[in-house]
Amino acid sequence: MVFTSGAMSISSSDAKSRSSAPRNGALASAISAAVASGGTGRRPPGSGGGFLSWLFTAGPAQAAEENPPSRDWDAHDFGPRMTVPFERLKGAKRYKVSELKFLDRGPLGGDARVTGADDPLFEGSALQPGGVFTRSQLLGELEALSSSGMFERVNVDAIRPQPDGTLGLTVSYAESLWAPATRFSCVNVGGLVPPQADETEDDDMTLREKMALQRRQDQEYQRRLRSATKPCILPEPVRGEVVQMVRKQGRVSARLLQRIRDHVLSWYHNEGFVCAQLVNFGNLHTDEVVGEVVEGEVTGVDYQFLDKLGNVIEGKTKLPVIDRELPHQLRAGHIFNIGAGRQALKNLNALSLFSNIEVNPSPDETKEGGVLVEIKLHELNPKSVDVTTEWNFVPGPGGRPTLESIQPGGSVAFEHRNIGGLNRSLAGSVTSSNLLNPQDDLSFKFEYTHPYLDGVEDRSRNRIFKTSCFNTRKLSPVFVAGPNMADAPPIWIDRVGIKANITENLTKQSTFTYGLVMEEITTRDESNDVCTHGLRRTATGALGMNGPPTTFSGTGVDRMAFLQANLTRDNTEFVNGATIGDRCIFQLDQGLGIGSKNPFFNRHQLTVTKFVNLNKQKNGAGKPPPAVLVAHGRYAGCVGDLPSYDAFALGGPHSVRGYGMGELGASRNLLEVATEVRLPVPMVKNTQVYAFAEHGTDLGSSKDVKGNPTEYFRRAGHGSSYGVGIKLGPLRAEYAVDHNAGTGALFFRYGERF
Amino acid sequence: MAAPIPREWTGLQQFPAATQTSLHELLGKLKEENVSTLTILVMGKGGVGKSSTVNSIVGERVANVSAFQSEGLRPMMCSRTRAGFTLNIIDTPGLIEGGYINEQAVEIIKRFLLEKTIDVLLYVDRLDTYRMDTLDEQVIRAITTSFGKAIWRRTLVVLTHAQLSPPDGIEYNDFLKRRSDSLLKYIRSGAGIGKRESADYPLPLALVENSGRCKTNENGAKILPDGTPWIPNLMKEITIVVSNGSKSIHVDQKLIDGPNPNNRWKKYIPLILAVQYFFVVKGIRRAIHSDIANGKLDDWEQRYRDLVGSGNPVDLKVSSSRNPKA
Repeated sequence: MVFTSGAMSISSSDAKSRSSAPRNGALASAISAAVASGGTGRRPPGSGGGFLSWLFTAGPAQAAEENPPSRDWDAHDFGPRMTVPFERLKGAKRYKVSELKFLDRGPLGGDARVTGADDPLFEGSALQPGGVFTRSQLLGELEALSSSGMFERVNVDAIRPQPDGTLGLTVSYAESLWAPATRFSCVNVGGLVPPQADETEDDDMTLREKMALQRRQDQEYQRRLRSATKPCILPEPVRGEVVQMVRKQGRVSARLLQRIRDHVLSWYHNEGFVCAQLVNFGNLHTDEVVGEVVEGEVTGVDYQFLDKLGNVIEGKTKLPVIDRELPHQLRAGHIFNIGAGRQALKNLNALSLFSNIEVNPSPDETKEGGVLVEIKLHELNPKSVDVTTEWNFVPGPGGRPTLESIQPGGSVAFEHRNIGGLNRSLAGSVTSSNLLNPQDDLSFKFEYTHPYLDGVEDRSRNRIFKTSCFNTRKLSPVFVAGPNMADAPPIWIDRVGIKANITENLTKQSTFTYGLVMEEITTRDESNDVCTHGLRRTATGALGMNGPPTTFSGTGVDRMAFLQANLTRDNTEFVNGATIGDRCIFQLDQGLGIGSKNPFFNRHQLTVTKFVNLNKQKNGAGKPPPAVLVAHGRYAGCVGDLPSYDAFALGGPHSVRGYGMGELGASRNLLEVATEVRLPVPMVKNTQVYAFAEHGTDLGSSKDVKGNPTEYFRRAGHGSSYGVGIKLGPLRAEYAVDHNAGTGALFFRYGERF
Repeated sequence: MAAPIPREWTGLQQFPAATQTSLHELLGKLKEENVSTLTILVMGKGGVGKSSTVNSIVGERVANVSAFQSEGLRPMMCSRTRAGFTLNIIDTPGLIEGGYINEQAVEIIKRFLLEKTIDVLLYVDRLDTYRMDTLDEQVIRAITTSFGKAIWRRTLVVLTHAQLSPPDGIEYNDFLKRRSDSLLKYIRSGAGIGKRESADYPLPLALVENSGRCKTNENGAKILPDGTPWIPNLMKEITIVVSNGSKSIHVDQKLIDGPNPNNRWKKYIPLILAVQYFFVVKGIRRAIHSDIANGKLDDWEQRYRDLVGSGNPVDLKVSSSRNPKA
């Protein structure tokens, strides 16, 4: 089983690996081949004690090696005859077998049942139609079949030369038969010492000697089974099914054993234990069939770093960083499971340190039946730089772009990953839309990430320290005109500052982040000048005079330091692609009284979203996603000093749909409630239709924001909306009715509302 | 702002003798109650006749009145003295601009009134408008938020253009009643005066007719359709309001600013923080811990656990398939 992971190729390689997972995958065969040849395979076939060795899956691999698909075979020169004896085949010729028939001449075969080459009894054999063999190879194959223990005898019955120069082959056989059995048990022989080469029955032994030998072998076998300390994980119902099979059959035949093996192994493989092998059947002369199973116990994990050419190199990443990502089921002493392998692959991929990851169980040469988990990693280049440039131009008065409006813009981003091999990273980006005057709108972000704050070895905890230095620019949703008013001139909020926080991952999705933010906020108008008050256009088009102050200090520039915390509880999960569960986010900004005019405040937000599975649809492949009811509520409030840029804007695609950003107001406290019903569209994958209703209110707190920007810009302060939409993957098209105005509009959006 | 030196109330003398007498009587009455200064604030929508009313009361053309233009944004105060009594009348611009309250005008008025005491508010509207709309409510609300609800105890509602012929089939008094009722209703709702409080806020009514075509009685005094000379009547109503026992409104910085919402609850922030920590944060963390405790594993992991055991290879579950004989 080979997992391959690349940036874009996970799914494809996963799909491939999954399809080959259940049975007889390339690796499974490789392992079993090794197991068979390394241990029990050497057991003399059909030894008197009733042992049977399986060479079942080694066959295809050999066949693939020995018979490369080629057309250079020799035509027979027998002429149009019915049959030729085997002896007439010439040793130097390479015959192509185009037709293969197996004739059961055993006591269970009844009236000489004829089967084709797809008979499962022969699935391990290299003897396949279309194969090219020399005479000695054919003999060898027959010898291999008859010595596999499954057959009492194997003969070539007839060779029918075909007109096209190929041969038709009929092979007769008689299955090996053992005593009738009524019971079945399964023994985990993983980790047991391989049995000593047995004494074999000899024709010149006396009956007494034979009996004694058999008794010795029995005792030996019982002792061996007793030493199997580990139980089989094969559950009782599956064992019961096998017992049924055994009882129904009566006499134990090779075909039955093969079916038992297939049944047991298919259970193992379907459960993901792809390294499990049924290596041997023992005790066949009693009424109990004992299946000896190697379940594929992991004996160790081996890491290999590979370069682009596949050469093993020394990796930069420290092993504990990788090691902590492995699920414990992949550690020594556990049974290898494909799910654990996939999980490891997923976890390692999430580190985003590697361009290609293979998790590959391979037979452990030092311990029989053991599985060594090989993890092959291609490390990403730790340093990367990305430069993009662009030209912006705007149409001038004549409709044509003027020369001076052409602005070169661009961004530079760099990243230094995996510093010190401990997944620390330093990333930065600088963007400007005008490189001629970069000071106008230079936005940058530099971030240093330091994971494993509690030590790489501490697997129970993963706190990540991050510090960043940023410069962002956003359009303020506070200084936005209401619907019945001419557009207000935009106010830009520039924030420059540094941030340091610690993120603790409590579960896969729940996090706790806390830290300190120090920033300088500058409010600017359209022409990029620092401004102190919002403006609005009067009915005559003139700009109104002083509106609400844009900053707390009143100077247009604020500085402040505050503590920031975010606690997210998220136990949502995907049920056939739909989100189900609860999400609860508490955010807090606690002012420290440090900054311009000593701002002291407690700004908090609590968001609760519930996704209810309405029709209790269960997770499962091929099932449609459930109907979902989404209930959402958000409360936000601020006690203490509240600059207008920190006021809570009401309205917008993530607040109250159907309204523009901030169209409903900007307030000190707000409450939003929303509900949505999502229904899957039958027959169309990844498509849902939904209906929603939302309401947002400022709780009368707009007047508690200095300058009352809600009233100044003639906004309602509350509003409802409802509508319907259709979602195709992440794309949404929705028709939302703005309840304040009573008019609807169609919106196209990307991503989720909740 | 330095108050202009009050001028002698010369305009009083041009009133008819009867009016002068009654005005003097009223002034004397006020003096008896130790009221020597009377400040009247005149407010209302634009174009309802605020300035004309001011001119009519003073008896001079103190405020520029023009039929089609608004008077600009600045309030104006005129002060007149007569026999040791000072009358201040503050005329204000209309509060409405472009269909909305002009906050800027409100701001200017507030600043103009800083450190002044308002004895009476004349809320002026026209008698001859038939319909009320949200604008009236907005004006009333703006006055309330600017000066507090208490100003409505010191308010006289003035209806101008009193000399009108009501629409067909309605008696004058009937029309007056309906008009004043609807206006009072709006004032009460805009000012947030509940039904129980309406006794505290009497909101008396006075009619005014500033037009030069106003009918006069035999003494030459301008009269209302019912024959009452309206200037003495208006002054009488004003004195009633002044002496109704409520307090004058002193406009100071605090009143203008209103309570600073930034300071509300501010001293409780440590307490709020503690509540947030102990109830919200702890509550959510508890929920996360319970998520962890009964969290669902991935399918494969759950199955692995069911089949093999919880993880530690030593305490593997003993499988029932183990051969008892072996």
